[in-house]
Amino acid sequence: MVMLGAAGLAAAQTTSPQATPAGRAAGEKIFRSHCASCHGVAGVGGTGPNLTTGVFYHGSTDADLYKNISQGIEGTAMPDQFFNGVQIWQIVAYVRAISAAPVKTKLPGNAAHGAELFSTKGCSGCHLVKGEGGIRGPDLSLIGSQRSVAHLRESINDPGAKVDKAYWVAKLITKDGRSRSGFVLNQDTYAVQMLDFADGLRTVNRSDFKDFGVDRGSIMPSYKDKVSASELDDLTAFLASLERTREKK
Amino acid sequence: MKKLAIGALAATALFGQVTYERLLKAPSEPNNWMTYSGSYKSWRYSSLDQINRQNVANLKVAWVQQMPTSHRIEATPIVVDGIMYVTEPPSNVFALDAATGRPYWHYKRSLPAYNVCCDAVNRGVAVLGDRVFVGTVDAHLVALNAKTGAVLWDVEVADRKTGYSVTGAPLVVKDMVITGVAGGEYGVRGFLDAYDIKTGKRRWRFNTVPGPGEKGHETWPTTGPHANSWKQGGGPTWVTGSFDPELNLLIWGVGNPSPDWNADVREGDNLYTDSAIALDVDTGKLKWHYQFVPHDANDWDAVQIPVLVDGDWQGKPRKLIYWAHRGGFYYVLDRETGEFLLGKPFAKQTWAKEIDTKGRPVRLPNSAPTVEGNVIWPGVQGATNWYSPSYNPLTSLFYLTVWENKGWYLKGDPKYTPGNRYVGSVPDIDISDDQGYGAIRALNPKTGEMVWEHKTQTKPWSGVMTTGSKVLFGATGGWLNRSSREDGEAYFFALDAENGKELWRINLGGTMASNPMTYMVNGKQMVTMAAGSAVFTFALP
Repeated sequence: MVMLGAAGLAAAQTTSPQATPAGRAAGEKIFRSHCASCHGVAGVGGTGPNLTTGVFYHGSTDADLYKNISQGIEGTAMPDQFFNGVQIWQIVAYVRAISAAPVKTKLPGNAAHGAELFSTKGCSGCHLVKGEGGIRGPDLSLIGSQRSVAHLRESINDPGAKVDKAYWVAKLITKDGRSRSGFVLNQDTYAVQMLDFADGLRTVNRSDFKDFGVDRGSIMPSYKDKVSASELDDLTAFLASLERTREKK
Repeated sequence: MKKLAIGALAATALFGQVTYERLLKAPSEPNNWMTYSGSYKSWRYSSLDQINRQNVANLKVAWVQQMPTSHRIEATPIVVDGIMYVTEPPSNVFALDAATGRPYWHYKRSLPAYNVCCDAVNRGVAVLGDRVFVGTVDAHLVALNAKTGAVLWDVEVADRKTGYSVTGAPLVVKDMVITGVAGGEYGVRGFLDAYDIKTGKRRWRFNTVPGPGEKGHETWPTTGPHANSWKQGGGPTWVTGSFDPELNLLIWGVGNPSPDWNADVREGDNLYTDSAIALDVDTGKLKWHYQFVPHDANDWDAVQIPVLVDGDWQGKPRKLIYWAHRGGFYYVLDRETGEFLLGKPFAKQTWAKEIDTKGRPVRLPNSAPTVEGNVIWPGVQGATNWYSPSYNPLTSLFYLTVWENKGWYLKGDPKYTPGNRYVGSVPDIDISDDQGYGAIRALNPKTGEMVWEHKTQTKPWSGVMTTGSKVLFGATGGWLNRSSREDGEAYFFALDAENGKELWRINLGGTMASNPMTYMVNGKQMVTMAAGSAVFTFALP
């Protein structure tokens, strides 16, 4: 075989023909081995969104889910999957089952106060929210739709726990003695394309490197000792409220 | 210029008619590129030398043909007497003016639903007489009129609904067109077919997974719950093979057994998966085989190009095959008998201690997928893959694209349902903490020792081509059209084939997953490479 690629068949059906106990059980098996690393074993989310809320932001019909699983979702970390046909319908059936009775848990914490803390504690210096803020960290405008509450909480306390590769920081010294740091946007045989925190978009030739390394941790400081337990609740509530608005049909 | 004059003469005399005799002597007509690998010996070498190490830095784009497709081009174009025949994926064909890239005709196939593992691709056409042959993703073989693109015949090779497709370029031998099939991720039973070029009638079929009563069937479970696993045993034949006219042997690579990553349902060596096979081209009967990986559970297809070289071997002249296999070993085989002569790693691998004197790998522990996952070198895409190597008779070196990478191999459920994936889990291709790197390497084909390498940041999906001026063309890798965070780059470059020094490069800005080729038209040597959904052709100003 050559490589993982786009699934060949579009979904002809509109509802999963595998919506049976056996189909769902088979779907759960696949989910655990292929989806759980991002969406959590129970589907409540992790580095990927919670799938149990009953809300799907990229289309909510079975056919939409089929398409998103088989082809991935453009502009997100959701990859295409190396399955089609029956197996994808089984995954759809399982995901449908776990999202069937959404429970909107009321989070502790005050989102409005969290929004204030977001500015006063320095978060907005590095993170964009709805166009406002810095660019040294991930854009959080839709983070409530993209990450689980548990992951948000963890990221405030221990930012280095799970760092998306896109936010690994390159530290670079060129032969003329100049230091640069920023996100690596792309690398090729001859150069690195980076978002330099000081200079913006820059291409630096490898032939000019004196020293180059990529720190896989996070440059964000831990807020464990910088916010109280209730402030952590407030911040988390604010981040969780930053949701994608559903498109009206 | 002398070569040009001879080539032009031959072209004029025989215009429009690609005869079998011309295919046999393809290397003597370097103006043309008449088979997938440039000749039956599959050297992907051209004696053209107008573009050389001194002037290659002056190469400029001569023309670009943007194709309407959204699929990537994996094809090697065929060029005959100034006409280029190149496939547009999934299964369309363009006839272009090789001097300008302007289209003459376009065969556009209307397709039903089809099953392909890894994007709807096609690696090119074959030509003979006034005919162009193309395999299709719905598992048909089609003959087109070379002047008009009209369909002359269209035959079903296999049932697309059970996962068969044709993605490889056919090979014409005598009055037959030979085609393999793809479908190793769908539990097909692989085969190689020969069809009459005039009628499309099948002449013979060689099943790469032997059935009951056939030799080799004993390497599959014959009793118990898995006694039928051979019926879904895989062994596809999706990359074009080579032909030795003196021995009358077709040499072809066979792909992975199915399911790919869970071998529990298929105890035994699983012949003739992951093997080189040599068939009598008139009958399709097996003359010999050599299996690179018995009982493979890593998806290490043997779908590489068999490079046929007559040479001295330990003091005696011998008909040889050079073969760099996906599992990371470079092999030399005897072409008459299939005898194993050499097996030496050309990249990091952690699955075999060595290849023993009989040619059987001595497996290391922990070299198969597990339920919990297992890290093994090379990764699932291998240390090399389907993209072409090159042999250059002037440097006597063997050139290939190499991946230095590991894979995370998981064993999962091996349940078969017709027309669905039958793979037994899915390994991780790119391990984010260490994605590895790529390289173009030159090997001494007699020893397997590396002579030089040109490292690339990304792992290329493209092959290499070398020329009579000792220039090598190759490309960098990565997917530029995917949302993955893998680095992608799209440099097409020229290296000095003697030492690997880079001489020229250009960023073509689209995923490259094909092989360079060269030809001459109107006195100018052209070099062609596909990137994204476009075909780029370069020439000196």
